[in-house]
Amino acid sequence: MDTVVKKIVREVKRGNQEAFAELMELYKDKVFHIAFRMLGNSHEAQDVAQEAFLRAYTNIHSYDESRKFSTWIFRIATNLAIDRLRKKKPDFHLEDKVGGTENLDHYSRFASGEELPEDQVVKLEMQAWIQQEIMQLPPKYRSAIILKYLEDLSLKEISEVLNLPVATVKTRIHRGREALRKRLRES
Amino acid sequence: MACSRDHKRLIEQYLDEEITLAEARQLEDHVKVCPDCRQHLNELKKTVAIVQSASHFEAPEDMTEKVMNRLPKQTKSKKWNN
Repeated sequence: MDTVVKKIVREVKRGNQEAFAELMELYKDKVFHIAFRMLGNSHEAQDVAQEAFLRAYTNIHSYDESRKFSTWIFRIATNLAIDRLRKKKPDFHLEDKVGGTENLDHYSRFASGEELPEDQVVKLEMQAWIQQEIMQLPPKYRSAIILKYLEDLSLKEISEVLNLPVATVKTRIHRGREALRKRLRES
Repeated sequence: MACSRDHKRLIEQYLDEEITLAEARQLEDHVKVCPDCRQHLNELKKTVAIVQSASHFEAPEDMTEKVMNRLPKQTKSKKWNN
């Protein structure tokens, strides 16, 4: 896998655009998913994911091949998502209930038109609840939790994506986990 | 929480999967006798399981195409030639 990625990256560096499409095919789902979980909104997630790939393309020469490509592209995407969250500060807050609810539309798309069995409804509600709770976390805890529990990255990888010491990543995961636990308790 | 920092730390280590066998045993023994820590640990485990059960979304199918259309124009000579 890694050698394949390296080969593709080299092609891109040589100026081969078609090779970049291959690279995108490999990583677009993960990049989109991270952006979606960070922003709670599929439209914005698309914007951020696309922007991340455009930046990756433009800056491909600064990509250090001794590191994983995924770490690099996740970092670009996470930074863009955090920038975007910062820019829309007034409607985004810890207490903000609206932020994460747009995904309800996203889920209900699957449910359109037909009656769902009870267990499906429970599943959808649970999924909506998860995203809502993730959105309640401050972005610095949110990114750590997403990378750890949704993308299954190691602490070391997360520290590379977020450009933070492993100890800081741990603290953020602990605090994020604790905040989610408290909310789970209340709900 | 009435319990010592040490036990809290063990719970964190356990969840981070950075606990030694001896420490795991120590934690196990402790939660048997301490309902607070037991509950705390169980709630955290449940929280993690729920978050891990979040669905994975796929990117829209046309995303690659959209990005490719926005890349700066390339010269023909640089295309794949094998």
